[in-house]
Amino acid sequence: MRTGRDGGKPMIRRFSRLRIAEHWWIILSTLVLFATGLCQRFWHLESSQWFILKMGGIDNVRLIHRYTGLFFSLELIVHVVAAVAGLARGRWEGSMAISRKDFTDAVQNMRYYFGLDDQPAKCDRYDYMEKFEYWTILAGGFLMVLTGAVLWFPILFTRFLPGEIIPTAKVLHSNEALLIFLINALWHILNAVFSPEAFPLDTCIFTGYISRERMAREHPLELARIESESAAGHPEHPREKPLGIPVANPETVRR
Amino acid sequence: MIKGKGLALGFALVFLAVAASAGYARDTDLSAQARKCLRCHDKEKIEVTFQDGESVPARVVSDAFKASAHGVLDCTSCHGAYSPEGHPKRQFPDRDQFRARMNSACRGCHSFEQIRAKSIHAGIQKRESEGKAAFCSDCHEAHSMTAVRGGKIYAGEKQYCMSCHRQDLSMTFRNKERISLKVDLSELESFAHDRLRCSDCHYGFSQEEHPKRTFRSRRDYTVASSESCRRCHFDKYTKTLDSVHYTILSQGNLAAPVCNDCHGAHGIARVSHGIKGRILTTQKCRKCHTGIYEVYAKSVHGKALLSEQNQDVPICIDCHTAHDIQNPLTLDYHERIPQMCGNCHANPSVVAKYNLSTDVLKTYLSDFHGVTLGFYKKQREKLYKPARPIAVCTDCHGTHSIMTMAASDPKVVKANLAKRCQKCHREAGEQFPSAWMFHYKPSPTKYPLIFLVNAAYRIFIPIMFIGLVLQVLLHIWRYAVNR
Repeated sequence: MRTGRDGGKPMIRRFSRLRIAEHWWIILSTLVLFATGLCQRFWHLESSQWFILKMGGIDNVRLIHRYTGLFFSLELIVHVVAAVAGLARGRWEGSMAISRKDFTDAVQNMRYYFGLDDQPAKCDRYDYMEKFEYWTILAGGFLMVLTGAVLWFPILFTRFLPGEIIPTAKVLHSNEALLIFLINALWHILNAVFSPEAFPLDTCIFTGYISRERMAREHPLELARIESESAAGHPEHPREKPLGIPVANPETVRR
Repeated sequence: MIKGKGLALGFALVFLAVAASAGYARDTDLSAQARKCLRCHDKEKIEVTFQDGESVPARVVSDAFKASAHGVLDCTSCHGAYSPEGHPKRQFPDRDQFRARMNSACRGCHSFEQIRAKSIHAGIQKRESEGKAAFCSDCHEAHSMTAVRGGKIYAGEKQYCMSCHRQDLSMTFRNKERISLKVDLSELESFAHDRLRCSDCHYGFSQEEHPKRTFRSRRDYTVASSESCRRCHFDKYTKTLDSVHYTILSQGNLAAPVCNDCHGAHGIARVSHGIKGRILTTQKCRKCHTGIYEVYAKSVHGKALLSEQNQDVPICIDCHTAHDIQNPLTLDYHERIPQMCGNCHANPSVVAKYNLSTDVLKTYLSDFHGVTLGFYKKQREKLYKPARPIAVCTDCHGTHSIMTMAASDPKVVKANLAKRCQKCHREAGEQFPSAWMFHYKPSPTKYPLIFLVNAAYRIFIPIMFIGLVLQVLLHIWRYAVNR
């Protein structure tokens, strides 16, 4: 059974090492990208100019931004390859796919929040908020990589595309960056810190483990499935190891 | 006691004597003969007429004569032919003949060697050697002569100087160049410096001193003369020290312009900011920068200035400044160009009436080139980091040759622009220039795609963010209520 124990509480393995690494990968690359990118978007602010001069000038900032963008693009590629390979080998069931249930869940949750229903939506492995975040950063990430490449090599791209794509790429890149910053960085951090279930910090993406209690509240459908499967004797369900990279020994007690 | 009184009385007598001699000394000095002559010659309207009909006053003001250096002399000391006993009737053909005759009277006491010893007389000797007459009385008044040291011969210094400099004097330089030293007083007085005295500019020269100075060439003299201006115009002088013209001059190139090359010497005009003054200013620069002037005159700015008398267009000094003219080929100057053009082109009160967009500066500064330029400027100032030149207004529009875009064919403009882009972006293709939005702000009619993308995000981002934050707050609220 994919469980561990934390101070006596039963813990369930939620993320594989690949996902933990990917999360760190995104944290590091987006931190640098936001720092070096937002100061370019808001170049007229005193603080941006201070930062750029501290970094040794605009050329340095652009250089760092571009190569970090490249580093971020690699993560996107790794992610997509892992997802496609995982799907192809049947090791990943595509739990991030958006379904009709996500919309009904969202409506139900709203009703619950406003006291029109006594039950919050019963979610599977990823709830609609997590899916929303995932798809915005995935789609946004691709948009950023594409438009970033156009801005990095304008001469190359205008060989076979009209020149207007350069200013278009610029507005897309800078607006999308702001959107990603607000939703996927600022709001995501707010959520991970102030979520009443996880306060002061939701650690499961760093440790890979989530308490059974939280699973029961946030992902009841998945918990039920895991428990029924382990009862049926399929302890090594492969769904969260898309590349077949083994997760830690499930019996290991974390911390 | 008696002794003391005697002493006091003695002092009082001495004092009275000194006071009396100080006050009336000259009165008693007039010789008996002079007093006799002055009985007639101090009367007004007494005149002498020459054969050519010209008449001059023969009056001698006795007070002036008394106060003069020659006040102690008898009249006959100079006018030898006359005496109290005899007053022969003599007639000179003209005034100059009379004055020449009187010159020889002066020489009776003041020997030629004595006269020659004073450098101020150098010109006179030369003129005499050339056969032209030089009259002592031109400078030294005949009857109210003052002692040279400490005395003023003429009431006005200008009048004093002009007594020689209205003549055809000339100065020869060591390289045999000659310039006329004749001064046209009417010219001088109709210009800005009409109230100045000669020695205000020609310092070292005065009624007492006239140092002999020699210069290698006429140009040397002009450059040296311009040093005078700083005595009053020190602010302008310090500015010129920072100018490219001064740099060239200090490297030994005397062709570099100095104050008088633009402002003139005696005919210094008052600064005029009117259209005539502006056109005149361009002509000053034209003297040396002819090629650039020709190009400017054909540009949209030059044409408007010269044919429409337009006051809004820039003249040379609006971009290059008048006194602290910088080398326009430096990076520092290059970086300041957007601001220079922006002075007018971002100012609605100047360009709005020509239907020109005032967004040009803003759109440039917020685009790639403008932002980079701004940072390079700061990096140079604060980090001492060398910068690459970044395209500014003039790199696309030209400098002196700026043409209007209104009448040009868009295809030609684009083709020309591609060439401009290729100056820096060598691999740039034909499509590349259209990456530039031609100073337009995206709007529903110009660059609608970019406008729509911007508008969509502007609406989408706040709705999305506020919605998501509300979701978190609702979640917390529900959680708290449930507990």
